[in-house]
Amino acid sequence: MKTIYRFLALTALMLVACEPEFKNPVDPDNVDITSGSADFSVYVAVGNSLSAGYMNGTLYKSGQEYSFPKLLADRMKEAGGGEFTQPYMDDDTKDVGGMMMGNLQILPPKLVVDAGDKAVERINEQPTMTLEPHPGPYNNMGVPAAKIYHYVFNGYGNIANMASGTANPYFVRMASSPNASVFEDVLAQHPTFFTLWLGNNDVLWYATSGGAGTDQTGNTDPSTYGPNDLTDPGVFAYIYNQMLQALTAGGAKGVLATIPDVASIPYMTTVPYNPVPLDQATADALNQAYAQYNGALQQALAGGLITQDEATRRTIHFQAGKNAVVLVDEDLTDLTSLNIPSLRQATADDLLPLTAASVIGQPDPNNPNLVMGVTSPLGDEYVLTADETAKVRTVTAQYNATIRALAQQYDLAVADMAAALDELAAGLRLDDNSIYTANYFSGVETLPNLFFSLDGVHPNRKGYVILANRFIDAINAKYGSTLRKYDPGYFDTNISILPHN
Amino acid sequence: MKKSIILLMLSVLIPATAKAGGYRVALQGARMLGMAHAGSAVFGGAESAFFNPAGIGFGTGDNAFALGVSPVISKVKYQNAQNLWTAQTHNPVGTPVYAYYTHKISDVFYLGLALYTPFGSTVKWDKDWVGSHLVNEISLRAFFFQPSFVIKPSDYFSIAVSFIAASGSISYNKNINRFMTDGQGNRTDITLEAKDAAGAGFGISVAIRPSEKVSLGFNYRSTVWLRSRYGVATINDNPGFLPEHDHFSAALPMPAEMSLGLAFRPIDKLLITMELDEVFWSVYKSLDIDFGHLPDTRMAKNWENSFTYRIGAEYTLNEHLQVRAGYYYDESPIPATYFAPDTPSLDSNNWTFGFTYKMGKLSVDAALLYKTEKERSDSYDYYIEGMSAPRFSGSYVANAIVPSFGIQYQF
Repeated sequence: MKTIYRFLALTALMLVACEPEFKNPVDPDNVDITSGSADFSVYVAVGNSLSAGYMNGTLYKSGQEYSFPKLLADRMKEAGGGEFTQPYMDDDTKDVGGMMMGNLQILPPKLVVDAGDKAVERINEQPTMTLEPHPGPYNNMGVPAAKIYHYVFNGYGNIANMASGTANPYFVRMASSPNASVFEDVLAQHPTFFTLWLGNNDVLWYATSGGAGTDQTGNTDPSTYGPNDLTDPGVFAYIYNQMLQALTAGGAKGVLATIPDVASIPYMTTVPYNPVPLDQATADALNQAYAQYNGALQQALAGGLITQDEATRRTIHFQAGKNAVVLVDEDLTDLTSLNIPSLRQATADDLLPLTAASVIGQPDPNNPNLVMGVTSPLGDEYVLTADETAKVRTVTAQYNATIRALAQQYDLAVADMAAALDELAAGLRLDDNSIYTANYFSGVETLPNLFFSLDGVHPNRKGYVILANRFIDAINAKYGSTLRKYDPGYFDTNISILPHN
Repeated sequence: MKKSIILLMLSVLIPATAKAGGYRVALQGARMLGMAHAGSAVFGGAESAFFNPAGIGFGTGDNAFALGVSPVISKVKYQNAQNLWTAQTHNPVGTPVYAYYTHKISDVFYLGLALYTPFGSTVKWDKDWVGSHLVNEISLRAFFFQPSFVIKPSDYFSIAVSFIAASGSISYNKNINRFMTDGQGNRTDITLEAKDAAGAGFGISVAIRPSEKVSLGFNYRSTVWLRSRYGVATINDNPGFLPEHDHFSAALPMPAEMSLGLAFRPIDKLLITMELDEVFWSVYKSLDIDFGHLPDTRMAKNWENSFTYRIGAEYTLNEHLQVRAGYYYDESPIPATYFAPDTPSLDSNNWTFGFTYKMGKLSVDAALLYKTEKERSDSYDYYIEGMSAPRFSGSYVANAIVPSFGIQYQF
């Protein structure tokens, strides 16, 4: 019997000892994370919609909660970072964004996928957010739609300026006082650390409007600019430098982000230049219809009005299969006095914004017998031509040269967002072998690899996590800090797919 | 001569890299477990109906019964130092059972009946843990029913053939992917339940007893494919665009196993037993689930055949009491980059202890297995999410305690 008791005692002992242990156990609650030479105690994000957490065509609660500055601040907290306030939108009770001014919807709610119609649409809900001020300042000073010159404009947050279009509804809500500039509200917080990502809207709107605006290079007076114009690189450099001077005066450190190429966003790359499917009979009939125009081009060529090259570019020809859209190109030689319109077919060098997708192949609203992009040419607003793309790229390159030079001058880190988005276009492969692309949403199965939200311009939640990691890389490399990165795989896209909308 | 034959047989079986583990649960007898579960050359008693049906020919008495249960208390820990991830399982106590009956028809013919649970495991992680896209909880239980027909043409030698009918149930819950949620932020998961899984196989065994002091055993059980055609899938915390239910078919192999054993008595009171087992895990190429509506899934496994090395001893203290001890080394069948938390099978050192208390025709058996699994850093690289295959990496360590209780009755 003694043996049996011993056996039972041994069993009991082993049950107690049954706890497997690692040689080097990880203790997530006891990890030493340092700030290096940086001081994260007061972090302020200087930026636009990309800093605000804007996605799916609006700023809304569940987007804002995962803005890249918020993600950064959460990691900074592990290395001496302080509180991080955002202009939280508790009045966005339906989590749809948009904005109301009285009974008027001045900004539309978020984009969603209607699974029934297989379409991307604005959600069928009325926004609940209003212009009612919630005076800041806030650590996240990302103001959607802000261009660099808006940032230093006193009155950008004054509701009285809404009528004239010189105020920004988001800054109306968050300004510390009606006539404070965004940048004054930044400085008032005496940041010890900042991220600065401005200049995107100074080039983007020109591109998304199909080059409808003007290249203002050389014009140093922003008050004369239209909304879709390219901001003068001189103006950009001047304001950027002023900002850095003020930000670093107290010894603050920070990261400057470069401006991505406009052709890196799905808003500009999703619609192909040749989306028109035709059979031979239809192609023949269309060629017949354009015979007169093509003949007139030959006469203009014979008269020496245009070159052979231009005559070839402008000649319209359809064939069985996929065909390029017909568009208006204002950079062609103006022959309208001869009753020859400025038409040509698109080429692979033309970028058609996402808005063109819902227009091409539809009846012309002015003449239902004509088909948009085929018998009725697409207007300038639906095409960013190769010439226009070149203009945007020139200006973007100048901004980025300024950013890099000033980073060196002020000894600041650079988060190369231009490079990040270029990598994305080719398929961004992370350390765990996961891949993210710059593709536009095209079904539930594309969600795991999606970087962008449904607006085709702003990242989705996964995308912002990837951007936050890039900032963390830049900060750690420059300042010797050990901020931890995130795994974007575990973050939802925050894209709503509704059975019916 | 005998020795050289044994050595030759062993040398054929031992490969350069040998690896059993997996979801094989080698707990088929409280007596044998006490001596490292090395029972293919240990005859006498109803446990032979499992360990080596041919050995029934060398049993004592005309009828023998054995039945028992072995509660498995196990825990696996996971960590990833880079991401500061930690997790551990909360496995419920597993209960492998067995019931055996052997019968002597004549000096030449014998019969064995075995009902046992050779495969199974329940691995339960915290719901929504970092590896939840691979598994939240998985539970497999397979029942084998194995009748055996034994012929003993000489006093030294017997052979047996067996038929195996198996039925099983599998329940598997995992999250749809690493991020999908319903509208309220609850992670979307899928539960797969297959209660209709069934399959068949066969067994062949040989028992040799050249003298009272030495015995040899060979036992082979074929692969049994448990197939389910009417599995039910349920999607929980549905984001709205996935179906609520689906059906599926799947097949999971219960791999073949070959055992070669040697037992001898250097002195009358002491029995030494040694055994080499090979489990043919290489049949487990992938876990394929074919759904009615949802996209089919393939999880690559590509496991390798694995070995278990066993040595045990039994010492008879007096007419009532026998005590036992044993050790076995069990190798993981999982190759590098295929290590997933649904079957975290590690190389393990196993110590066993046991005793039998005899009261006439009735014996009470008890044993204890202490398993310490070796820490391993590895990854599973074949989980597919959209167009990428994000690696799930980390370190695992585990151990288990298994008390085992049985009774035997011979007459």
